[in-house]
Parts: sequence; C-alpha cells; structure tokens
Amino acid sequence: MNESIDLKSSRAQQARLGKRIGKTGYVILLSFSAICVVLGIMSLVSGSSFAISLVGLALFGILPAIWWKQQLSVVPVTSPTLNGRMSVDVLTRLKPGQELNPRSVWESLNGHWQAAFFSNHLLLDKESVAMALSNNPADFTQAIAVATKLADDNESPSVEVGFIVAGLLLTSEPFTQLLSRIKSQPADVESMADWLGRDLREQRTIHQSFGGIGRDWAFGYTPLLNRFGRNISMSIMNNGAHFGWLTKSEGVLAVESAFNNHASAVVLLGDDGIGKSSSVYALAQRMIEGNVVPSLAYHQIISLNATDITSRARGQGDLEQIMISLVNEASRAGHVVLFFDNAQLFFAEGPGTFDASQILLSIVQAQAVPMIFAMSPSDFQRLRTSNQSLANQLTSVVIQELPEPSVMHVLEDTAVGLENNNHVLISYEALREAYHLSGRYNQDQAYPGKAIKLLDQSIAHANNSVVTAASVQQSIEQSYGVKVGSVAPQEADALLHLEDDIHKRMINQTYAVQAVSSALRRARAGVTNPKRPIGSFMFLGPTGVGKTELAKAIAATYFGAEEALIRLDMSEYQQPDDVQRLLATGQNETSSLLMSIRKQPFTVVLFDEIEKAHPNLLNLFLQLLDEGQLTDNAGKAASFKDAVIIATSNAGAQSIRERIAQGQSLDSFASEFTDELINGGQFKPELINRFDDIILFRPLTAGELAQVVLLMMNEVNQTLSNQNITVELTPAAIAKIVEQGNDPRLGARPMRRALQKAVEDTIAQRILKGQINPGDHTVLDAPDLTF
Amino acid sequence: MMVMLAVAFFSWWYGQGWKSVLDSYDTRLKTSGEYFSVKQLLRTLFAPWRRIISYSGTSLADRFKAWGDNIVSRVVGFTVRCIVLFASLLFAVAIIIFTTIELLAWPLLPVLAPILIFVGLLG
Repeated sequence: MNESIDLKSSRAQQARLGKRIGKTGYVILLSFSAICVVLGIMSLVSGSSFAISLVGLALFGILPAIWWKQQLSVVPVTSPTLNGRMSVDVLTRLKPGQELNPRSVWESLNGHWQAAFFSNHLLLDKESVAMALSNNPADFTQAIAVATKLADDNESPSVEVGFIVAGLLLTSEPFTQLLSRIKSQPADVESMADWLGRDLREQRTIHQSFGGIGRDWAFGYTPLLNRFGRNISMSIMNNGAHFGWLTKSEGVLAVESAFNNHASAVVLLGDDGIGKSSSVYALAQRMIEGNVVPSLAYHQIISLNATDITSRARGQGDLEQIMISLVNEASRAGHVVLFFDNAQLFFAEGPGTFDASQILLSIVQAQAVPMIFAMSPSDFQRLRTSNQSLANQLTSVVIQELPEPSVMHVLEDTAVGLENNNHVLISYEALREAYHLSGRYNQDQAYPGKAIKLLDQSIAHANNSVVTAASVQQSIEQSYGVKVGSVAPQEADALLHLEDDIHKRMINQTYAVQAVSSALRRARAGVTNPKRPIGSFMFLGPTGVGKTELAKAIAATYFGAEEALIRLDMSEYQQPDDVQRLLATGQNETSSLLMSIRKQPFTVVLFDEIEKAHPNLLNLFLQLLDEGQLTDNAGKAASFKDAVIIATSNAGAQSIRERIAQGQSLDSFASEFTDELINGGQFKPELINRFDDIILFRPLTAGELAQVVLLMMNEVNQTLSNQNITVELTPAAIAKIVEQGNDPRLGARPMRRALQKAVEDTIAQRILKGQINPGDHTVLDAPDLTF
Repeated sequence: MMVMLAVAFFSWWYGQGWKSVLDSYDTRLKTSGEYFSVKQLLRTLFAPWRRIISYSGTSLADRFKAWGDNIVSRVVGFTVRCIVLFASLLFAVAIIIFTTIELLAWPLLPVLAPILIFVGLLG
C-alpha cells in the first residue's frame, strides 16, 4: 500500500478551516448570536419587526458554530484509508503544495506535543533529529507505511502525529546511528510509540458512571469504615487511576473468578513489589467500569491498615471490638470488599500489629463479607503454622512476576505520573536503566515495584529537572555503595595508578598487585562479563607474605575503606551443616555471607584458608564463581557481581619456600605448582579453573621485611601524631627488628609483635618518664630496643 | 472556495449532522438512566432504605416490633426510589420532546435563517 497524504482532500480542507476558525472564532460566532438574540428580544419588546431579522442573524452565527464544534474541530475518521484516518493535527500542520519528505514533515510536526514526546524522552534536540532525516520524498512513503502499521497495532482509528514521527525515525538509517551514539536503539522508539498509543487509548476511553445518584441506597451506611479504612473505589472515582494494563491480568481475573465461585476470602500471594496492591486497585477499577461479575457489581473496596487501627485503639479489648464492628458494618452494608494490605500485620503481636486471626477466622467461615488479603508467600507459610484453619479457608491467588516488556509498560505509565507530580522529564534511557539496575541490585523486592522505587528515588538526582540514566546510577550508588556510573577523570586516574596506591601499603608481590589491579580496571571500564564477580583470585603462599594484606589494601584503595571486606575464616566451616550457616537469611544471622553481601554488595570477599572448608562449601563456590550469585535457604538470590572474590590458602607453602630458596622464580614454577596441588588432591580442577587467576606469593626477603618495618613505623607515627611526637629508627634498629621478627614459617607476621615490644613499649616508657614530650622527634637505635 | 465551503457545510448538516441528532436520543436517554440509577432502583424498589433493618428478638412483641420497623424502612426506600424514578421519567420525556423538536427543526434551520432576515426586513 503506497498511499500518500492528499492535502487537498475535503477532510484536509475542513481541518484547515476548523483550525482557522479555532476556539476564538467559535466564541465570536456564539457571542454574535447571543447579541442578536438579546437585541431581538429588545426589538420585540419595543414592537419592532426587526426582531425577526435578528433571530435570523443569530442563526447565521449558531449554525457555523455547531458545524465547527461537531465537525471542523475534530474532523472524524471517515474511512480506513490513509486520507480517511489521517489525524486532524497532521492535516492542519502540513501545508498544501509542500513537498512531503521526512525532514520537511518533521519540521512541520515537531512543535506538536506528540513529536516532543519522542525528542524529549530520547533527550534529542529538534535540529539533531532534522539533520538525521532525509529530504527524499520516497523515504516518506516508507515512513507512512510504518506509521499506519503502528496506528493499527495500537488500535488507533486515526494516524496520529506521534505515529508519523515514529515512522520517520524508524525508517531513517542516520537516525539509527544517532540513537546508538546516545546508547538507544530503534526498539526504544517502537516502545515509545506503544507507550503513546496506550496513553491515547486511555484518553479515548469513555468512563462509565459508577451507578448514579441512587447507587448506594440499597446498601448500608459505613461510618466506621470511612473512619478507619481507605475507600479505594472512591479514590479511583475521584482521582482517576491508570491500572488499565492490569485490569485483565491473570491475578485480577482469578480474584474475580474466586468470588464468583462463592469464595469468601482470597489471599494474594507474592513478594514485595510484585503488584498485589495494584491488582486490588485494578479490580476496583474493573468494578467502577462495570466489567465485573454481577456478584461484585457496585461493590467498593475498602482497605484496612493494621497500624492505623492499632494506633486508635486503647487496648487489646478495644482492638478486637473495633475489628468486629468494622467487619459487621461491612457485612451489613452489603457492598463492601475488605482489603487487608500487608495482612501479616493482622496476624502477629507486636508494635503496630495485632493478632486478629481468630476474629477473622469466624468471619471467613460465616462468609459474612468478601475479603482480600495480601501477603508474601513466607508470611502465608507462617500463617499456616500459626492458624492453619484460617489459612485453609483462604483461596490463594499467586501473583506472578511480570516479564520485562510488561515491567517496562508499568514503568512508562508510572513515569507519566512522576513527571506530573515532580515537574521533571524522565528520559527513556532512565526507564531502561531503572529496570536493569533494580534487577541487579535490589534482591529484596520483585518487579515492577523495585524498578518503580528506584525510578522514584532517582528523581532526587535529576539534573536540570531531567532524570537520565546517570540519575538512576547515582541513586544506586548512593543506596548500595557500588560504582555503576561512568568513570570520572579523577577516578580514572586513580584506577590507572592503582598499583602505586596499593604498594603504599604492600611490599613487593608485584605480580599479585598487578593482576588484581587489572581486574578492577577491566570491571570498571565495563569490559568484563557483568554476570560474574568483578574478579576472582586464589592467593597461594606461605603465611605472613601479604595475602590478607593485599585483600585489605584492595578494600581500602578501590572499595573506599578497609571495612569493605567480608572475611570468612574457612576453618570455621568444616562441617557439612556449616554451609547452611553461610546461606542463612535471618536479619540476626551475623555469620551469614548472604546477609553481609546484601548489605554491602560492593566489597572484597575473602575466604581465608579455603583448603580447610568442607567439600560441600567448595561446591557452592562453583556456583558463586560461575553465576556471580548464591541462593539463600528461602530461594532468594544474592549477587556477588560487584565483589572481588579472594580465596587464600597455605597449601604447598613449604614447596614454594623450597623452590624460592633454590633460586627459582615464581613465574617459572607457577603452572607446575598448580598442577601439583590438583594432582595431590588438595583442590579439584573445576574449582581451580573457575578462578580468574591463581596467584603465588613468595616469602619476603630481609630487605623487604625492612620495608615492612618502615610501613609499620608509619602507622606508629600516625598514632603518635595526636601528641605531635615523631619516632625514627636507625638502619641498625630496623635490622635488629627484622632479625627478631623474622620467622621463615610465619613470614612477616611476628614482625608486628616485635615492633610492638621493641618500639612501642620503649616509647611508652619514655613518654611516662617525661623523656619524650609533645613536639619531640626521637631517634631509636639498636641498643635502645629491648625485646 | 465559498461554494465549496457551502457544499461541505450543507452536506454535513443534512448528512452526518442530522444523523448525530438522531443518535443523541440513545446517548441522552442512557446518560439520564445512569444518572438516576434507574436499573438499580427498579431492582431494589422494595428493599429497606440503606439496609436499616431491625433484628428480631425471641419474644413475639420483639418480632412484631422488628417486622414493623422493617416495613417502615422498606416504605421509606420505596417512596424515595419512586420519587427519583418519577423524576427520571419526567427527565426522559423532556429529552424525547427536546430531541424530537431538534430533529424536526434541524433541516429547517439553514433555510429559516435567510427567510427570517428577509421577513424581518420586509416588516
């Protein structure tokens, strides 16, 4: 179908005439008629025959006014052909005789709100779009075909400006390139056309009356419910709602069907954020639109809040009395569906909650009033344990998590409300980013709730009232302490010099430092697999050579603080049951790895002495390193995708020491050494192979140990800086500490003890004796030190 | 241009425009019926007013009193509903009369305008 727009058609002419007359012309015509009528009446009173002429003149004003109002201002669709269904806005903006090519049409239409809808949400200025469109009339024919298809797909009777614009953008190759430069894609334009289509469909929907003036006369009064509850139906009636996308969802239809099958109470099951409350709102909207089964016709949904009721009651007895009165009132009224949001609060004793399960059980059994409960599956499981009779009486409806396209629809519809309420513009890339980042970082909630929550929080990071992907990233960074935004120049500089920073507190182990630094750089630059941890390393070597120190150094230099380290001593996980301890989910489970990583996803996870862990735990490791996540006992995933995983082991330490003593370099025997560990049965090959790198640490030489002493002295001086005291060691003193603190089996570990004994004790004594005073600089020589 | 406009106007006035007046019977009556809750009121014509009912006790006197109270509630409900239904009936009749006049006068209006002016000028 290669139709073209006929701007000389009768519809086009009428549209242009309608625009020319406009509202102003309409008002002038009516005013003219009114004046004629008034003058006519005055003439009639004065007995003049001119009154009749004035009435005739009035008709000359009224008739075109009627024509304008009913025909010219809307120019209804006349046929399914292109010219029969072209929107009046398109017909009035395009000029007859104008050459119709993509660029000229865009320039004519870009002032319309539907064109701005695209350019604003894609963060593109009108000139950039114009430059990306061709001036070849043949290309416009192709654009029109796409626009017509979009109109059909969106059940739009007319081909609106928005569909034409989408057709122009989708058929332009340079525009596709422009989109890729701003990290968007043609699919985004199609999604936006659908979004616009839904909005236009909503505007076309004729809202039915919810029963008229006599609706409630057959039903009882509900003064108490009005006081304690929230009438969802009336709220939707008065303020409107946009749950159109959900009114035909499986969950809503299942609730309706349950009530139609004489269920007295339904429980909506789903995780937080999955849309349980929204489903109830959608049901209320269906009731208002008159699309429900007769048993629910003219019913109103009233939501009860446990905290509100508790705060207004004077005691337990009062609480029970209120609950009984509320349910009695709902039952007598005959048109109330009670909704218990966060229903678990009605089944437990505690602050802001109370146990009404027995009262509710009797009401459910008596089928006195239709009720809807909303809670998570785990809370329902708890109800099963505490009050099985009540749980058995409830008809369960499981709300399923929405797939990505539906979540995006919800986000798009939500964005409209957020934009209006907060006077901001939310870009389409922000919607996509909210979907992806909430999925990656918020494991506590389900879609679409978590994406909506993130989008809402991102408004606080809007730049010049525009919410972009960067705003969403900043919100995530603030909430989870992770780095997801683009790398700032200062951070890039720090990343490029990461080795230098780490070496400020690490002596030697150059290869290890370089391997870890490279992994961090790769992750930050976005060139690693985002579905795995940032990096995973196994550090092998003798005790006291800096394995743990390197993990701490990474935490301090890259993750912001030495505290950004989750350290697990694997010698405490030697029993098969210890695995459960790692995967526990309770808030008080301090030893749970999953609880720690959820609180602090951007971190270093250090598994010390991994060879001592039970083999079951090593199997968990395979999942962690492969998928970047672990699943807790309740089936919820915890992400390790923003963590560096480090496992340390002393396995084969003696062999390393001997080879180094023989003068071999680490590089020369690293591969052979790893094979030995596998062949010796100390590690399974599948575990070793899953680490990004196996890094060998060699024993420190005396010279390196002297540098370690100097690093430790820096720490001592930092502590003494409060008293304005500085201490310096002579080379002889350093050599003596190295001699005392060096143990081939324990590496540099005894060094701290030696320093403490020799230096810190000596200084403490001198301070107390008044030999060192604030502002002093003290030099300690070998004879000054006692061990 | 003027001729074309006149043709467009008259073809709309005696075509789609006139038909829309005819269609308005249906929409106006429906809207009126919904506003006055006609279906709902007819369905619940004898129901107690706002479900205000007494529950009978065990004694005969109590039962008799409750029965009396409930009759009163139903009579009140019936009366109010009848008044509203009557009002809606009047309204519907008014709609029919007004729309019929509109329908009959519609084709005459374009012709009437110049005639009235002419007649008035003639005195």
